[in-house]
Amino acid sequence: MQMTLTQTLVMALIQIVAVLAFIFVVVPMLTFAERKVIGYVQVRLGATRIAGGRKGLTGAVNKIMWWMGHFPVISFFRGLPTFMADGIKLVTKEDIMPAKADKFVFWLAPILCMVPAFAVFAAITFYPGVLGVFPTWVPIVGGLPVDGYITDINVGLLYILGLASVGVYGIVLGAWASNSKYPLLGGLRSAAQVISYEVPLTLSLLAPVILTGSLNFKTMSVELATGMSPWAILPLFIGFFAYITCGFAETNRVPFDLAEAESELVSGFHTEYTGMKFGWFFLSEYTNMIVVSALASAFFLGGHYFLPFGFQQFVPASWGWFAQPHLIFFLLKVFFLLFVFLWVRATLPRYRYDQLMSVGWKYFIPLTLVNLFIAGLVRFMA
Amino acid sequence: MDSFLASIGQHLFVIFGLIACASAAVMIFSRSAVHSVLAFLFAMLCVSVCYFAQQAEFLGVAQLLVYAGGIVVLFLFVVMLVELSKFKEGGIFQAQAKVAIPLVLAAFGLFAFFFRQALFAAPAKDALTLPAEISGGLDVAANNAQAVSRGLFSGWLLPFEILSVILLVALVGAIVLAKAERA
Repeated sequence: MQMTLTQTLVMALIQIVAVLAFIFVVVPMLTFAERKVIGYVQVRLGATRIAGGRKGLTGAVNKIMWWMGHFPVISFFRGLPTFMADGIKLVTKEDIMPAKADKFVFWLAPILCMVPAFAVFAAITFYPGVLGVFPTWVPIVGGLPVDGYITDINVGLLYILGLASVGVYGIVLGAWASNSKYPLLGGLRSAAQVISYEVPLTLSLLAPVILTGSLNFKTMSVELATGMSPWAILPLFIGFFAYITCGFAETNRVPFDLAEAESELVSGFHTEYTGMKFGWFFLSEYTNMIVVSALASAFFLGGHYFLPFGFQQFVPASWGWFAQPHLIFFLLKVFFLLFVFLWVRATLPRYRYDQLMSVGWKYFIPLTLVNLFIAGLVRFMA
Repeated sequence: MDSFLASIGQHLFVIFGLIACASAAVMIFSRSAVHSVLAFLFAMLCVSVCYFAQQAEFLGVAQLLVYAGGIVVLFLFVVMLVELSKFKEGGIFQAQAKVAIPLVLAAFGLFAFFFRQALFAAPAKDALTLPAEISGGLDVAANNAQAVSRGLFSGWLLPFEILSVILLVALVGAIVLAKAERA
């Protein structure tokens, strides 16, 4: 059935709102999980108490959280009030602009950081097919199927990489517009880092492109999970580790968070930002983490299928539910990789700047080139 | 719906082309170098939208990836580190004007001379596309990326390779210049 223009637009709007809701639910929960996971890994209490006296509301909240600590699973949620207070603080805090800042660029930078991070989701396939059908009584889109993706662009992967490469402007311009030394140093570091790591990142993603012969997100994720020869497991395995490491560097996360190294640069490129302007930087960093996890799970970890690295081809059809693609598999993989982000942050110390550069140029680019060669060989043999 | 998209494509092309020209003008006349780079970035993004409006999605994304994501970042990187007030005192920009204005006018005249045909003559009969023996039955409009790769790696391999050698020469030249300055 051919959809009319209005129906297409309304359907796209519904999908966009759904994806935005997903982001705005996952990102705050991720910050909460970050605090708690790191708290557990490093044997700290996490944020299990809030400021205030022993009496009144704050005292009561602290007493409840102390009591929750006696129960195994519930104790994880002891920090929840802190997390909510954190959100309120972020939104209501005073918005300070440095007197000598470049006002327009200062205002533009968080937007330039955030828009590409969100726009990338237009090309991500959450489920390669129809998620469900609207019941017929729904006004405009009644009886129409809802796809598991917003758009199915022919060059989806390139679109994602292109927008991700635009994201660095937010960091660099925000750093420059603050008109202060530490942000500028952080911004320069970040620009050099992101430009260097874009090369191995793209090269590691080219291995799946060679294996499938496509740039379409949906085709690639389905093909990589089910339609590969057994030899393709090797380049996918190497590619995964190269990609996830470069993904850490691209999102400025520990151990590659030199752009905001607290011990050297106060807080890096967003030192002068306060309130919700800082909040947008924060939000885009976590959104980028979701994007990196989504790409890694779609291309290397089997995407919407059960087993990673192309092992899905050994799953017989008799496994029923496990032989089919499911949204839940994809989301579980994404959440696992997000956990890996936090896990790594709790475990590894920060790299030195020259180490970071030498790892990128001397190890990852040759490694991904070799991987590309292996992928080409697999494709040639098949 | 496709016909609507095709007609809106033409309008988008013109609108974003004009915005690209406007931001190119901002790039030239802006006082701050960083604002110039920003306007340049915006012009590049508009050109990318122009490609999308013509349904050349591969070119559009390549424009985004190479120019907006790569080259302009390097521009910004350099411009941020340059203190322009030094150059302003030396009057370096005014000194160039005597040579620059006639050169720009001459270039504009040349462009106008060669492009008058493209602007005012009758439109071409055949769409600009791959010859049938190269495309091999591929639907060029729907498979942009494949069509471009077939053109580059089978039909025009030699010019493509020559271009890459020229780029390499420019790279080596840049390194030689930078080294000479340091010594």
